[in-house]
Amino acid sequence: MATITASLTLTSPDLTTDSLNLSTSATFTKAGTSTGLTSCTGVARKTTTATTQYVLFDGDAFGNGAHKVYIKNTSSTAAEYVTIEINSEQMGKLYAGDWCLFPWEANADTNDIKLAPSVSTTFTVEYALFYE
Amino acid sequence: MATTQATISLTSSDITGDPLNLTKTTLLTKAGTDTGLDEFTGITKRLYPAAQTDTVIAADASYASTTVAHKVYVANVTSANVTSYIMIEMEGNILVGRLYPGDWCFIPWAGTLDIMVTTVDPHVAIEYGIFSQSVAS
Repeated sequence: MATITASLTLTSPDLTTDSLNLSTSATFTKAGTSTGLTSCTGVARKTTTATTQYVLFDGDAFGNGAHKVYIKNTSSTAAEYVTIEINSEQMGKLYAGDWCLFPWEANADTNDIKLAPSVSTTFTVEYALFYE
Repeated sequence: MATTQATISLTSSDITGDPLNLTKTTLLTKAGTDTGLDEFTGITKRLYPAAQTDTVIAADASYASTTVAHKVYVANVTSANVTSYIMIEMEGNILVGRLYPGDWCFIPWAGTLDIMVTTVDPHVAIEYGIFSQSVAS
């Protein structure tokens, strides 16, 4: 089994008068066990030149499990974003430089993760899926 | 405006023959701008004595929506039982995924659907925080 570690650090000296300094770390394991996840897509990139929504991960292609999804908007233009949908409902938008990491229940073909770029110029997202 | 940074590191020496070593930092800014987010809930910790069903941790009615760059952090900080997962959901029975003990997530949020958690066991503990903009861009 593999050992995959995901660490998060959140810092702000001035968001409130109590400075923020949160660090946490997780080891990706199979659902309900201490056994590490065994599969990943690798860190990949997809470049588009249209605003057409596309399926990033097909829910029907993966079983249930403690899957984790990483997505990053690589743009450096503040106004450019990518909209993330799951089960055809909008989760949120990643603006330039933003990244996210979330668990994914690939329990049905309806639970696809879909992305829609905001621009029809060259636009790149980076992504990875860690799965059972 | 506030300067808030979020850094992720993903590492593995053995998931593939090519070691994984990724670190990315982003400044949390308002949608489409270089201006920092201006609202924060603080980091909340809840220890639920009983299992929860669709407990709202981020209510859409309390936040600006649509053209926003809110971020939601949630962690399952339960220590006792590796099977005590929490389900991260959006309003309308949209299941995002499960966080097992020790897992965390950091997700963008449009502020259009409540973010909810469901737990399967009593004595599950979570931490969460919402970074948001007070007015949509």
